[in-house]
Amino acid sequence: MAVNFDDVKIGDTIPSYTSGPITRTHLVRYAGASGDFNPLHHDDTFAKMIGLDSVIAHGTLIMGITGEAITSWVENKYLRKMSVRFLSMTEPVDWNDVENTTNRATITVSGKVVKKYEENGEKRIHCSIIAKDALGSRKLDGFFIVALP
Amino acid sequence: MADRSKMGMEFPTYTMTAEKNKIAEFAMAVALKEEKEGINPIYYDEASANKAGYQGIPIPPTFMSSFGFWTGNGLPEIVKALSIDINRLLHSEEEYEYYGSIYAGDTITRKMRVAEMYERGKRGRLGRFAEVTVLETEVINQRGELIAKVRTTMVER
Repeated sequence: MAVNFDDVKIGDTIPSYTSGPITRTHLVRYAGASGDFNPLHHDDTFAKMIGLDSVIAHGTLIMGITGEAITSWVENKYLRKMSVRFLSMTEPVDWNDVENTTNRATITVSGKVVKKYEENGEKRIHCSIIAKDALGSRKLDGFFIVALP
Repeated sequence: MADRSKMGMEFPTYTMTAEKNKIAEFAMAVALKEEKEGINPIYYDEASANKAGYQGIPIPPTFMSSFGFWTGNGLPEIVKALSIDINRLLHSEEEYEYYGSIYAGDTITRKMRVAEMYERGKRGRLGRFAEVTVLETEVINQRGELIAKVRTTMVER
């Protein structure tokens, strides 16, 4: 259902979106898609060398999931701004310990309408956004702005 | 340690094509899907995109982050030019401001410069101190229209 400016109220929550669990294969796929081949995201020996327990997800993958969450609610073409801070690292699922590692790799995005206003002749809303894993650890937060019909 | 004398530096201007298959691949990657059928068809089927009000196959909102990686020598060129230590490098913030749309087949020019360089926290305090580098990229299409600005904040810890 299309979202209309007049139907949106300040304080409304945006539909929650859950993705994952993220696997190492997802990280390799994202590396190939984005061109970000920092070994930190696919090579466990490199990650260990710099003091981490395992590879970590690209911050921009978590942001990409956040973009998916936003554009599942409003159309891509209405997006005017998106801004995030990366807050913590995300380790992927370990296949030899799925039970204990699924929650850390499962990302839920939620958000709230903060402001409604007009700018550049458009009706716009400003929303806060936050992505957390299933353990409650915050992965990123920030905001986005969309123009609505 | 980032070379502070590189403040204001402009990287060479690079051009690339927003390729149709790369857009679908990226859309699948951020949706964590293994096949095209699992994603929004606007990212691989032109007729669906047109029907949804797009002039062509659009790019996913965060696709622009890849322009810096797919042009020039990607991340290695950036870290080398700024003397950044990749062993300490973390991506700290990312912001996109959109002024227009990019569609499959568009030729994209990216103009990137070092917008800010500063230190955060106190030296010698583990976990607190960080050197910050902010890159600003203008994304321009084949008609010379400014489509977006990307602001990337990197820290060395």
